[in-house]
This record gives sequence, structure tokens and C-alpha cells, in this order.
Amino acid sequence: MQGSGKAQQISLLRREMAGIATAPPAIVARAHVSLGAARLDRLLAGGLVTGALHEITAAAPGDTPAAAGFVLALAARCAAARNAPLIWIGEDFASLEQGSLYGPGLALHGIDPARLVLVHAANAKDALWAMEEALKCRTPAAVIGEIYSAKLYDLTASRRLVLAAQKQGTTGLLCLAGPVRAEALSSGAETRFEVRARSSPHAASAGGRTPLPGPAAFDVRIAKARAGPAAFSIDREKFHPVFWSHREVLFRDALSLPLAAIAGDGPDQPPQRRSA
Amino acid sequence: MTRYLSLWLPSLATDRISRHSAAAREAPLATIAKVRSAQRLAAVNRAAARHGLKPGLALADARAILPELACCAVDEAAEAATLAAITDWCRRFTPLAALDPPDGAMLDITGAAHLFGGEAKLLDEIEARLATQGLAARAAIAPTPEAAWALARFGEARVIPEGDREEDLRRRLGALPLAALRLDAKTLADLAQAGLRRIGDLILRPRAPLAARFGKQLFVRLDALLGHAKTPITPRFEAPAYLAERRFAEPIVQRETIEATIRALAQELALLLVRQGEGARQLDVSLFGVDGRVRHLRAGTSRPLRDPAMIARLFREKIEAAGNIDERDPLDAGFGFDVVRLAAEAVERQDEDQAHWLGAATQDDLADLVDRLGARLGLRRVTRLDLSDTHWPEFAVTAVPFSASSTHRHGMDARHKAGHDVQAQSVLSTRPIRLLTQPEPIEAIASVPDGPPVRFRWRRVLHVVAAIEGPERIAPEWWKHSALTRDYFRAEDSEGRRFWLFREGLYETETAQPRWFLHGLFA
Repeated sequence: MQGSGKAQQISLLRREMAGIATAPPAIVARAHVSLGAARLDRLLAGGLVTGALHEITAAAPGDTPAAAGFVLALAARCAAARNAPLIWIGEDFASLEQGSLYGPGLALHGIDPARLVLVHAANAKDALWAMEEALKCRTPAAVIGEIYSAKLYDLTASRRLVLAAQKQGTTGLLCLAGPVRAEALSSGAETRFEVRARSSPHAASAGGRTPLPGPAAFDVRIAKARAGPAAFSIDREKFHPVFWSHREVLFRDALSLPLAAIAGDGPDQPPQRRSA
Repeated sequence: MTRYLSLWLPSLATDRISRHSAAAREAPLATIAKVRSAQRLAAVNRAAARHGLKPGLALADARAILPELACCAVDEAAEAATLAAITDWCRRFTPLAALDPPDGAMLDITGAAHLFGGEAKLLDEIEARLATQGLAARAAIAPTPEAAWALARFGEARVIPEGDREEDLRRRLGALPLAALRLDAKTLADLAQAGLRRIGDLILRPRAPLAARFGKQLFVRLDALLGHAKTPITPRFEAPAYLAERRFAEPIVQRETIEATIRALAQELALLLVRQGEGARQLDVSLFGVDGRVRHLRAGTSRPLRDPAMIARLFREKIEAAGNIDERDPLDAGFGFDVVRLAAEAVERQDEDQAHWLGAATQDDLADLVDRLGARLGLRRVTRLDLSDTHWPEFAVTAVPFSASSTHRHGMDARHKAGHDVQAQSVLSTRPIRLLTQPEPIEAIASVPDGPPVRFRWRRVLHVVAAIEGPERIAPEWWKHSALTRDYFRAEDSEGRRFWLFREGLYETETAQPRWFLHGLFA
């Protein structure tokens, strides 16, 4: 009796397994872009989800350039694998406050300025509209939106962007450049990153006095992550230090990094160019 | 056989003022201008003319005759604008409409009259439509612009039929007064004194003695009138390369209907373009209102385009953009539009496949997006970065319209790469990701006058320098602009924020008190 019970159980399990194998998976496997930094990738269960919307905010007003740098780095990650253009949609006021994107600097940051389409939107409304239109397009490796005021960006607006991103599988990165608290946002975005500037791994200067600044470094907090196997294990209060290696076009965990290696890297080497 | 329609608006000056009220049109009205320090009438309406008032009369005399005369100062600019608007409206009948100042328009209606049921019907329609707009008008059609002009103003008949023989033409035009030749007042007076009053008087006379006495102009005009010499007209707008249009018996008001019409027209246009192997670079939609107003929508494209769906989408964005100004009625349809015209104003060869780093399909996808964004935001707002051959930071990069030129881009790629290799050689050649529109002055404290800053204050926030790299000396391009040498530093403050600063002027050689500026931001 007991034996047959076990056999029954096994056949039941087998049938169940067969069902799982043939039935369409409940959650569609989603494509990820690995960020490079092992810790972040692990937290995000594989990296940045493509065909989704991600939000980036600055921890403090002074961190806005860091947030912009982080967004550009994410976009560079998205573009690294593909020969596709990036689209940057900026609200006029944000570029007035923070300056406009500077080609030579972008090249050094790992983004080819020749493959960048810059859209200047007069206000947040136009910027959000343009972002939705751009997301409906299959071509771009990523669509970056920078808006200053988060007033117009509500649940409905975010859902429109999410739907557009899902439809064509284009990744949307929305940078909220004005003062906004990450926790106060309510949106349908996949992830929300809060970014803080971080002292770069310094290299000693020749004179031995003030050290030289190193590569771009960030403290990144995952303020939100939508349902996924790892979503519950994320400590949403914790900042994760990473730095951006523009030469390799990927993030590195800042803590595991031996200092000597960075000094040799040199902050100036552009990506791709070496092999070219 | 070319056919011309001359439109004459005899009381344009006064109609302009009183056209919107029937009561005002019945009251005597005159425009006045200062002629040799006296106020004189420049134009009078029919009611005033009935009382014997004429242009040129002194205002005081006119007031004595007719105390209730209403007066308005001459506004030449407004009159010209009205005439331009009317000429523009005339394009509903033919795309070739020219201004004929001060009070007329000249249309080339070759092959257009049949759309309106013949030339007589066309004349009736123009006059009637202008009458409902409160404008007195008289129009005439002839094989030459001069003959049409003369007929509209002095003729009994309104049409000189097509295929009229030379002697018939002479007979018809010979009866007109010499003023129909558009001669100046002095020549006319001289001719009258010589007993010449009608055009017929001139036709049979020997030319040489008359030309010697009254000038060559006389016969230049006469030849033009009779069609012996061609005088082309200058249309207010160039005739478009391709156009499609639709006319409605019942004016359309609904935005959906208008959009559907544009889509249908785009399909017709696409057929024409495909046949010629061309694509549109600039498209215009003209919406002719029944009340005489004309709305123009213009959309530029970043590459030759003929896909009807795409064209329709461009104009949907245009209408949407207009809706941002007036939500209720973006097109301000008023009483509705009864003619909708889609024209390709500029065209370019459209070859089937174009080699590009993105591949043809993706490039089209991107170009569609650029056009769509451009239609709504303006094509100037969709840009790409163009790197220039200069090391002066402000000029090193400019945002140029994405649509400007697509062939240019390859050149830029190469240049960009070359510039990069040079930059890569220097350890100090780091550049910020963002550059401020203008370098912003900062208060910086340096330990030695020509040394790096220790602390600085920007936008009221104090930053303590924790790491610094520099200076990188950038000298101005003295052959282009005058500026002081800049020493750039890449500074990181104690909180990890990174800035691009410079000290302006070389200490002691260029300036005694170097000033500091913040120019860019690093991630």
C-alpha cells in the first residue's frame, strides 16, 4: 500500500512536471543587460531588464550630475552590445541648470556622440510625449528622458511609458533631475535607482599632495524593484558603491577593487577606440 | 493656351475697415492721408462716392459736403496684408496666384476653370465669394495678364474667349480707354491732348512718331496687351512640384474628417511621387476656409518621404501641436474648410536602398521618429552633436538639426575618431559630460596665485577640494576670437562631486587678478 502510494505520488509529480514543461511559463523570461558589477547584477537578478522603464533620481540636488552620469552609463551598457543609436530627450530647464550634454565628455564616458540623437523639449509634457514616441520605436538601444519637474510624471504617465517600452522591447531610462524624493514617486517603473556622488578611488598625485580624481564613482540605492525572485531580498536602504569603467564600458564593484589597478587604467582612455 | 484671371478690388481700402458689418458698409467712409501738409481723401466707399466725394479731395471740403463722413487714416501695411491674404485665398482656385498691388491679384488659371464649370462660372464664384466676405470685386479672364487687367477695370465683357482671332482681340480691346494700358497720369494727359483716347486709336497709327513723342513704354504695353510679347507673372508662392486636393460641397469642420482627408490626399500624392522616383522633403497642407481664411501647416522631413501613413502621422502631430495653443479647436475651423490641399513643396530623389551604418530598415525607423518629433516640437529641436576641429571648449561641439544632412554624418564619424586619438594621448584630456551654457564665476581660494584651488563656492555652496588634476592650459584661438588663456582643472570635492574649473588669464603676464569659473560637470 505504502509502495503504491509512493509510486502514485511519483507519477503525480511526473505529471505535474510534464505540465510545467509544456505549459507556457507564467512569467516570460525577460532579457537583461548585465551591468558588470556583480553585486548589482545579483540584486537585479541578472542586470537591467530591457524593454522596461527605469527611473533614476538624485539623492540630493548636488548629486544631479552623478545621476545623469549614472543614466548615461546605463545607456552605454544598453548600447554596448548593439550597433544602435541612443536617444536623449532633455527638458530645456534641466540643461539650463546642469549644462547641456558635451560630446567630448560623452565619448570619454563610453558613449559615441555620433550615435546620439538629442531632443530638446520645451517642457516636461513635451519631454514625456517625445519619450513615449521614441519608446514606440524599435531602433534605439535606449531612450533617456530627463525631466526637471516630476509633477506631470504620475502613475498614468509612467504606465504609458511602460506600455510603449514593453511593446517594442526598447529600454526607457527616466532621469528626474529636479528635487524629488524617491519614495514619494508612484509609478509603474521596473526599477528605481537613487544615485549619490561618491569619492572616486583616488590615485596619488606626483607631488604627493592632493590626490588625482579617479573614474566616475557612484553610490547607488535600489529604491524600488518590481516583482522578481530577488526583489524581496533587496535592502532598499543600502547604498551600493560602484564605479564606471568607461574603457570597458561597464560598472565595477568599488569595494572589491584593488587601488593599483585603477591607477593603471587611467581615467582618460575612451572605450572601443583601443581596438579600433 | 495660357489663361489669366485678373481680380480687381476697387474699394479694398474701405472694405477692409467695414467688411465685417453690413451697416458700416452702407455708411459713407473714407481713408485719409496727409498730402503736402493737407489731409486729403485717399479712398472712398460707394456710399461716400454717391455724395460726390472723390479721392484727392481735401478732408475739410469733404466734411463740408458730408458732415457725417467717417474717416480712417490710411494704413498701407494693413492694406497690403489684406491683399496678401486675399491672394493667398485665391490659391484655392489655382496654385499660381500673384499679388497685383495696390488693389488686385493675378491668377494663372490655365486648365483650372473646368473644375468650376467654365470660366464664366469661375468669375461668378470668385466675385460672389468675395462679396460674402464683404469685398467688392470684379474679375476678368483673358489670354494675357495685361488684357485681363484692362478688362477687369475698364471692360464691359468679362471674358475674352479662348482661340479668339487677332482682329477680334483688337476690336474688343480697341474700345477700351488708354488708361487700360497702365500708363502714368502725365503720359495719359499728353495722349488725351493729342486726341488719343482709346486703345483702338493707337493700334493703327504708325508707331515711330508716337514712340518718339510719348516714349517706348506705350508700345511695350500695347504689345503685351495684344499678346505679342510675353510677360510672366510672379506667383506669391512657387507652384508646388506635386499636389493633391479635395473640394467639398459641404465644408468640413471635424478634426477627424480633416485628418482622414489628409490621409487620402497623401495616398494620391504617394502615387505621383512613386511614378517619378521622388520623395518629399517638405510638405504643406493648405486648408481653405469658407470665410476666406487660409490655414497652412508645414512639415519638413529628415529624408525623402512618400509613405502615406507617415505623412498623415506628421500632420497629425502638427495639428496636435496646434492644439497645445488652443485645445478646443486646434485648427480654428470657424465655418469649416471646403478645400484641402496637400502639396510637396520640395522633393528629392528617393532611391530604394541607402547604405547606412544602421541598415536601411532601422534608419527609416529612426528617420520616422525624428520627423514625428520634429513635426510636433520643431525640427530644430531634434539634433545631433557635431564635433568641430577646435580645442576651445565652447566651440568644440555644436548641436545641429538632425535633419540637416545625413551624408554629413559619416564625415563627422571619421573626424570624431581622429580627434579622439589625439586626445587619448594626453593624460589630462578629460572632458565633462555636461558643459554649462556659460562659464559661471566662482569664488576660489588657492594656496598660491597660480596654483590649484583648495576651496571654491559655486551657486552659494562651498566645496572643499579633495582631489584635483591640472592644469590643462587651453589657449584661445587668437585668429578667431580674443580671450584670455585658461587653465583647466578637474576637481573632486569632499563629497565626491566632480567639476571642471578654470582660472582665466595667466598670472602676472595677462592679468594681476585671475578670475575663476566653473564650466562643466563630471559624473
